[in-house]
Amino acid sequence: METIRNYLESMFANLPNTPDVMRAKNELLSMMEDKFTELINEGKPQNEAVGIIISEFGNLQELAETLGIQKELGGAAEVERRLITNDEAMEYVYEASQSRYLIGIGVMLFIFSPIPLFFHEIGIVLFFLLISAGVGVIIWSSIRMSQWKFLDTTLCCIDYATADYLSDVKKNNTMSKALMLTIGVMFCIMSVVPILLFDALLVKEYTFVMVGPAMLFVFVGIGVLLIIASGAKDAAYTKLLSLNGVETVAGNYESVRSTREPYAEKKAAAGVMSVYWRTVSCIYLIWSFISFDWHITWLIWPVAAILHGILKSVFNGK
Amino acid sequence: MVEISSDVIRGYNDTMILFILMEEPCYGYEISKRIRALSNEKYIIKETTLYSAFTRMEKNGYVESYSQNAENGKKRTYYKITESGKNYYRDKCLEWTLTKEVVENFIRRED
Repeated sequence: METIRNYLESMFANLPNTPDVMRAKNELLSMMEDKFTELINEGKPQNEAVGIIISEFGNLQELAETLGIQKELGGAAEVERRLITNDEAMEYVYEASQSRYLIGIGVMLFIFSPIPLFFHEIGIVLFFLLISAGVGVIIWSSIRMSQWKFLDTTLCCIDYATADYLSDVKKNNTMSKALMLTIGVMFCIMSVVPILLFDALLVKEYTFVMVGPAMLFVFVGIGVLLIIASGAKDAAYTKLLSLNGVETVAGNYESVRSTREPYAEKKAAAGVMSVYWRTVSCIYLIWSFISFDWHITWLIWPVAAILHGILKSVFNGK
Repeated sequence: MVEISSDVIRGYNDTMILFILMEEPCYGYEISKRIRALSNEKYIIKETTLYSAFTRMEKNGYVESYSQNAENGKKRTYYKITESGKNYYRDKCLEWTLTKEVVENFIRRED
């Protein structure tokens, strides 16, 4: 029955999401279901039953007039969407999350980079090494992702089964995402602990005096890595689930709709939100590296999170 | 093996559906099953054909639809013939008798 459902959904995927179209789809599904049940009860193997049903389905051209979809079926106005297969979707999720981890590692290396400066003049060499390694990792990650550029430049879509699958794994991922984020934030908050600790222990010897501040950078680095990595998979799932056109049947699968923010239909709002965290990260890094006030700049994150919430409710309102 | 040309049969899908609805209100799959049985398995109506006939005839006022729960609890759309549907059916029957009569004159029987 899953196969039949998928077949029907793929036939309807690019049609406009109107009551007439939905009614036709449901009615056809109901007929196919009845037929399937009967064929199975007659003792037909599942594959054969599916084959019979699909061969006796007919074609959508016949419905064009009654549904007012001549335009969509005519080909003239039809928008070709490239179908992302299930395999491609999984590959994308894998690579996109890998790439996100790499960016996290790159940022972590940036944050680590000042550490050697505390201990020795020669540290400047290590400082530049770390910076260049960070830049290298980030460039590498973006090159790896360049093969997926087409997701942004061409119209794509995913089928019913893939959408269902993605929404499932996205839900299952919520816990680990939240856990990683929490641990990441904890690391950032805990970053001041070593300084206080070393202060309290009244360490006076020069090499050890610097261990506290050094640990601060280590903690923040790991924390930021975890925060960036926590959303890696989720962002990939969301990206794929948002590919289907909002006005089509495919854009209104339960699985797709449940993951879409209401503001997704407003272009400007969606634009702002899509670059929000990237902009925040940029501001954070630029401000931090220019001022070197790492003990203050982390405040950007909680402030940004609150602002994100406010923006979201403003956009979702009207 | 000769097959029914869908162009020819198209004009008579309505007749077959209405014939079945003359007896009692019915839902989609049941109608297609009966058409198949009554035609001795020689004609299988496609799902899309059936659905477009339903919507067309409903728009013309020949049938009415309502939903009802079946024995197994599944919600189904049932179709019921209207008075004007019955008239339309009679017209179609007359039309077919005439058509058959005319075409018959041009059919050569090879012995």
